[in-house]
Amino acid sequence: MRLQYPANVKIIRLPCTGKIDLIHILRAFEKGADGVYVVGCLEGGCHYIGGNLRARKRVEQARKILDLTGIGGERVQMYNLSASDGPLFVQYAIEMNEKILELGPNPIKLKKDAAA
Amino acid sequence: MIVADKKPVEEIIDYVTDCKNILVLGCNECVTVCEAGGKKEVEVLASTLRMCFLNQGTEVSIDEITLERQCDHEYLEEIRDVADRYDAIISLACGVGVQFMAEKYHSVPIYPGVNTCFLGATEKRGLWTERCQACGNCMLAITGGICPVSRCAKRILNGPCGGSSNGKCEINKDLDCAWQLIIDRLKALDRLEDYEKICSIKDWSTDRAGGPRKVVREDVQS
Amino acid sequence: MTENASTKKIMRGAVMVVGGGIGAMQACLDLADSGFKVHMVQKDSSIGGTMVMLDKTFPTGDCSMCMISPKMVDVGKHRNIDMHTLAEVVSVSGEPGDFTVKVRLKPRYVDPEKCTGCGTCEEKCPKKVDSEFEQGLSVRKAIFSLFPQALPNTRAIDRQNCIYFQKGRCKVCEKVCKADAINWEDTGEEFELNVGAIILSPGLNRYDPEVRQELGFGRWPNVVTSIQFERILSASGPYQGTVMRPGDKKHPEKIAWIQCVGSRDSNNANPWCSSVCCMYATKQAVVAKEHDSSIDPTIFYMDIRAFGKDFDKYVNRAKDVHKIRYQRAMISAVREEPGTSNLILRYADEFGELKDEIFDMVVLSIGFEPHADAEEFAKIFGIALNDHRFPATPPFNPVETTRPGVYVTGIYQGPKDIPETVMQGSAVAGTTMALLSEARGTEVVVKELPPQREIADEEIRIGVFVCHCGINIASVVDVAAVKEYAGTLPHVVYSGQNLFTCAQDSMNKIKDIIQEHGINRLVVAACSPKTHEPAFMDTMESCGINKYLFEMANIRNQCSWTHSKEPDKATEKSKELVRMAVARVAKLTPLQEKKIPVIQRALVVGGGIAGINAALGLADQGFEVILLEKEESLGGLATRINTTIEGADVKSYVNDQIEKVTSHPNIQVLTQALIVGFSGFKGNFTTEVLVGPGMYERKIDHGVVILATGATEYRPDEFLYGRDDRVMTQIELSEHLQEKGAESLNQVVMIQCVGSRNDENPNCSRVCCQAAIKNALKIKQMNPKTKIIILYRDMRTYGLLEDYYAEARNKGILFFTYELENPPEVNSSEGDLTITFKDRVLGRSLKAKADVLALSAGMVAEDTEELSSILKLARTAEGFFMEAHVKLRPVDMATEGIFVCGTAHSPKLISESISQSLAATARATTFLSQSHLTLSAVTARVDPEKCASCLICVRSCPYEVPKINAEGVSEIDEALCHGCGVCAAECPAKAIDLNWYEDDQIMCKVDALLEGAL
Repeated sequence: MRLQYPANVKIIRLPCTGKIDLIHILRAFEKGADGVYVVGCLEGGCHYIGGNLRARKRVEQARKILDLTGIGGERVQMYNLSASDGPLFVQYAIEMNEKILELGPNPIKLKKDAAA
Repeated sequence: MIVADKKPVEEIIDYVTDCKNILVLGCNECVTVCEAGGKKEVEVLASTLRMCFLNQGTEVSIDEITLERQCDHEYLEEIRDVADRYDAIISLACGVGVQFMAEKYHSVPIYPGVNTCFLGATEKRGLWTERCQACGNCMLAITGGICPVSRCAKRILNGPCGGSSNGKCEINKDLDCAWQLIIDRLKALDRLEDYEKICSIKDWSTDRAGGPRKVVREDVQS
Repeated sequence: MTENASTKKIMRGAVMVVGGGIGAMQACLDLADSGFKVHMVQKDSSIGGTMVMLDKTFPTGDCSMCMISPKMVDVGKHRNIDMHTLAEVVSVSGEPGDFTVKVRLKPRYVDPEKCTGCGTCEEKCPKKVDSEFEQGLSVRKAIFSLFPQALPNTRAIDRQNCIYFQKGRCKVCEKVCKADAINWEDTGEEFELNVGAIILSPGLNRYDPEVRQELGFGRWPNVVTSIQFERILSASGPYQGTVMRPGDKKHPEKIAWIQCVGSRDSNNANPWCSSVCCMYATKQAVVAKEHDSSIDPTIFYMDIRAFGKDFDKYVNRAKDVHKIRYQRAMISAVREEPGTSNLILRYADEFGELKDEIFDMVVLSIGFEPHADAEEFAKIFGIALNDHRFPATPPFNPVETTRPGVYVTGIYQGPKDIPETVMQGSAVAGTTMALLSEARGTEVVVKELPPQREIADEEIRIGVFVCHCGINIASVVDVAAVKEYAGTLPHVVYSGQNLFTCAQDSMNKIKDIIQEHGINRLVVAACSPKTHEPAFMDTMESCGINKYLFEMANIRNQCSWTHSKEPDKATEKSKELVRMAVARVAKLTPLQEKKIPVIQRALVVGGGIAGINAALGLADQGFEVILLEKEESLGGLATRINTTIEGADVKSYVNDQIEKVTSHPNIQVLTQALIVGFSGFKGNFTTEVLVGPGMYERKIDHGVVILATGATEYRPDEFLYGRDDRVMTQIELSEHLQEKGAESLNQVVMIQCVGSRNDENPNCSRVCCQAAIKNALKIKQMNPKTKIIILYRDMRTYGLLEDYYAEARNKGILFFTYELENPPEVNSSEGDLTITFKDRVLGRSLKAKADVLALSAGMVAEDTEELSSILKLARTAEGFFMEAHVKLRPVDMATEGIFVCGTAHSPKLISESISQSLAATARATTFLSQSHLTLSAVTARVDPEKCASCLICVRSCPYEVPKINAEGVSEIDEALCHGCGVCAAECPAKAIDLNWYEDDQIMCKVDALLEGAL
């Protein structure tokens, strides 16, 4: 379909969202990511039964920690879609991108820049 | 197992707010099993702290180590060479580990990273419940395997009290009355006569009342 | 001696499969995985058939393309499947075991050897043509692939629409093709293939509703066919999944589905039921509402035929949860409302009142019919057709034809849905294997690999290849810049670029460069690993490098295609993806795929018709089989059935099969057998059995399990059953007729759905409608004077069974509907058995006296509670075994190496049980025919030093694989691990890693991506 989505979205491949670890998400923010989102299969449609449900819980944990550290929980998000649903993938990418643009850069980055 | 719960990160941040070199120290025993202080939690806490400090614009170095157990000298010795480098160590072990660390390494402040809760069991993942208060004088033999010391809110030894209604405790309606459980269990075992026996006054000297306790086993000492 | 040698029949280890749909694909894969060479002959330019056109499948809502495309890839990359597309069979000669088939390839005008499938020609082609795949709702080009995931992805030129062919100038495709693959001189080709058997799976045609002018298709733009509606719903379809009506692209609210268009109509169209339309209409209505909640669907139907496993549950949910309206009515005409382009439907409602109702859009649920050339096609293969032009097949082996060695499968054999098609695809493979078993392995290609290079002591040396993909990548991304950049990254010793990295010459070049530069890790920056990873991994293996030391950066799908309007950003992102890939590949370690031996013995549980046929299917191929039966004798429920509805003698068939089983040298039958223990994994199971009458214990080692525990007739407690001798079940009625005839019967009443489709058992029992009609016709044959009344909710004589329903109505058998809330009343006062029921059209109660009241009692699963707990098998709420996937794995259980067939899976007819048992044989043979199974290397692994034995992996694994071993630490059996990684992510001690996705192999990508961000 070759639908366009924002170029600042980069994908890291996992066998199942059930493999994503809380620390993977946190590490990304620690290193300066402005937003992270996890894209899993539709709920109830996990090839490995319930991996995407575990992923959702971890995203929620990450959100709490990000809120607590002042980085902002809204910067992390879980989405579910079916593998063929390109338009929805694009919609989520745009949605996430707009949200992050609205939130601005990762505050850690701003602090670093200010210090420099 | 000793059951601990994660300490609110805000509290931990308060402890170490002026530190520049921090060690987060996990324990691979009980606190790993109850998902409060194992290697994974060490990573998460360290990352959380790093983000906090970065967000304050302060440069802090945070290291991560997880020991097999923090309640044994030999394992604690493993950090002998590095302990001095830190101006704070956050121990994710139970209260025992934190204290043992503090006894061993005097030059560094040791802070607790978890709240140690009780001796309990994993009912299912994410649900732990208390089963023992370590009174030092076990009476489970006569109470059908259900402990009135840890499970009766009033620690009554000849229960139930008048507050037991429909099998629940008056302190909290979600709590089972331990004595109701004891009676049901003894009935099922056809041992109700044990219930009829009056329990004599318990020797509480082995409990906390006598101050910190010790177990001495000369037979195994070297 | 010479005489023996000359009369010795040749057996060929190759099979031809004609067709390319999901059933044909399943047959190909099962055969190729069991040691046979397969030639797939497909008339279209791609495989895929009907299923690729569907949007979603019920009940899971899984996307159809997502499910089928991995299977297509499996077919495409299988070294023992040769695909011949745009191909047809011209003639067949020879005999079973040794046929010579002449195949004609139509000209493609694109050389598949050179074409890399980049698609540039299609993009640049100036000629637009209505797309067949999109059902005319959008356009394709004159050089095209049927759909984006087409396989093979070699484009084809449609000569009739090609400007060059028609007008002599254009050749744009030739100009833009960097692979020089356009061949204007292509004249096609004819060649001969020698095969041992031929499987026909050409599918069916869809009914053309334009024939029925009164429904307005082709006349009113907002009347569409059901297949068009699938494309409308599809996210990759003409409207990108937005529900719009074709006429004016407005969002419709009221949508009507008209059922049985072209089906169940012997006057104007086809007399048979197409079997799938009720369910797809329900699915479409549900999915449409999910897309747009303002949509208000109505389905106009005659009978809702939700006869498959758990189908009624889905329909009930559609009614109750999704509020889909079902209106029992025949639509006599569809007219357009002037001005609005809305549609006026005229129908008589259930009370006989004539109504006009306006809808925004109408979907015609069109059925199946044989291809126009069905007779010629059958003639080429020398098989006979039945009256309806479907292949004539015997009831006791529905995949056999009148010509030995030529088999049929899928909807070509008769209308059926996806799981039944897949099942029969395996079934036909099973039948074919039995014929050709002695030639197994004689024509297959075996992969030979050089020994793996030991790289442990080598420094990390990474090679990076950046692909132009013709102009797919290079027209947007600055490939040279990405290549240059790659060369500056750590450990990279070589970086290069290719026009098409996947082309054969590039692959050879990569091999040379690997050797020349001592490369031990490879990064390819190109397209999707989903499609191309296996090919590059093969290349690495052929250079003696472990194939897991490989990573792809998808700079086409994730950069050039999706950021084509921002070339600078696309280039920048490509560099970042390459940087991430290089970081990861440096962290990868060689992984070995473990091989485990297979015990070539099968255990079949259940000695009914399904178990017997499964046992014979395997034993005839030379595999040892242990058949367990809990009763004293074999035969199961079928021993109580006299004939099939077609009149075939079930009793003598069952007796013959029992005789074959008990005398077969490869089969050991254990009766009064009870399973008490079970352990092991695919290829290596051990089952403990107590065998009667002495109940001595036996331990059986085996490689696979086939479950055929069967079902039994429901024992009613409604309608005076057991309290009045004249009330009996359908099976009892057939026994009664056998013994006492029908002379004394003046009037017989039958009640359908007893013990089915109610609160206790929400499912349809599938067989009862035809059982009632079978008995009713039998009575009419024995005593034409007997009056018969059948009280039903929906008559579910699906497929070709519809003929018998029509015959019953013609013979004067009366049919009245009743509703669940308002069942018939049965009284036996004063010696008369009286049935009172309400007729909706008359609007009043009717009374009928009966000499016999036959209850169509449903089917209930045999009690398998203990068995399922010992073998750890999932069952439905009603006790039927749950297959691994309702659509594409209808015979496999979730535990690999265990298969299910017959009524243990769901209620079904004898012929369907046989079909599934043959399918189970084929699936089992894919294991038994191999001496070793290769396990995936992507499995979880515990570091015992770190393990805290916390049990969290044990609790979180969806497949119950981790166990705490004798050393007190967790152990994950790699033979059982599915590689999802949940345990690794949950482990609080970080003691578990998933191979190839170890924490630092993921985190290094995060680090590489964010390098310099702070």
